[in-house]
Amino acid sequence: MKEISFRADVLPLKDMLFRLALRITLNRAEAEDVVQETMIRVWNRREQWDKIDSIEAFTTSICRNLALDRQKRMDNQSLTLDTEEHDAPDTSVASNPERMAESSDRVELVKRLMDELPEKQRSCMQLRDIEGRSYKEIAQMMNINEQQVKVNIFRARQTIKQRFFETEKYGL
Amino acid sequence: MDYKYIEQLVERYFQCETTLQEEQILLNFFAQEEAEVPTELRQYQPIFAALEPKEKLSADFTDRILALTEGAPRVKARTVSLSERMRPLLRAAAIVAVILAFGQAIHFSTNHANQQADDINYANYKDTYDDPSMAYDQMEDALQLMREGFSQARQADSLVSVLTPSTDTTLVK
Repeated sequence: MKEISFRADVLPLKDMLFRLALRITLNRAEAEDVVQETMIRVWNRREQWDKIDSIEAFTTSICRNLALDRQKRMDNQSLTLDTEEHDAPDTSVASNPERMAESSDRVELVKRLMDELPEKQRSCMQLRDIEGRSYKEIAQMMNINEQQVKVNIFRARQTIKQRFFETEKYGL
Repeated sequence: MDYKYIEQLVERYFQCETTLQEEQILLNFFAQEEAEVPTELRQYQPIFAALEPKEKLSADFTDRILALTEGAPRVKARTVSLSERMRPLLRAAAIVAVILAFGQAIHFSTNHANQQADDINYANYKDTYDDPSMAYDQMEDALQLMREGFSQARQADSLVSVLTPSTDTTLVK
């Protein structure tokens, strides 16, 4: 087994982890924090690296768990401030100037639909369709089996297709 | 141009039957200009366009993380330089030690020579008596005194050896 180097094997995952954390937390600053904490946690457990099957899966799973914690904490905070839950994802996308400036409104719509999916579907689709990971890798990263990964991706793609065409048709 | 293959791929994509390579073909296909995409497939373009990985971390992130984690090579370099940094100090200490040892040796040898010179200086010795017979009497008295002292000591010593067994017996009793 090859020796794991932080610089060569862990650090290059940073943008992928950032996009996953962003997909879960829907907040740039939180996502960046999550990636930083992930990197430090992985670094602190460097004595165990040689016992780990896949450092990529290990790192990604830490990142996802941290992002889920943040999201939970943020949800709790926003619940006490306003009772309308569905406003949260919309405002975060709209308040993201980078995304607003991006190409057409229809691409924006698809991204928003993706952000509205349940977290498991969102994360699975993110890892497969955006990061190009295999079902096996995603299963390791998410600690679920391959079949569940496939089901989640199937549902995610179907929901996006359906909602996208509905919106296009009726202008919801 | 025949887009049946792409249509088929899109169909299979939504059924989760495409491989990673086929999904890449779809992404590449829909990444081209909208005008290039046939009308019947154009409706899918936003979906695939949204799948492009765009978000990236700020440029200084790598440096920040390396400072927080792999500050380790710096620590490693410091441990190496530590002994190297100590070396001039040790060298200075060794030089001081050598100089002190030398100084001590020189000091000792000159002192020793002086003492020896004092010992053999007979010029300092003076005669106490002018009359040899008087000196002889004095000498005899002194020796007599010493003899008395010795004999007293021997007596006390023999007394101890005589007394010891009796004290032992009293102890036994």
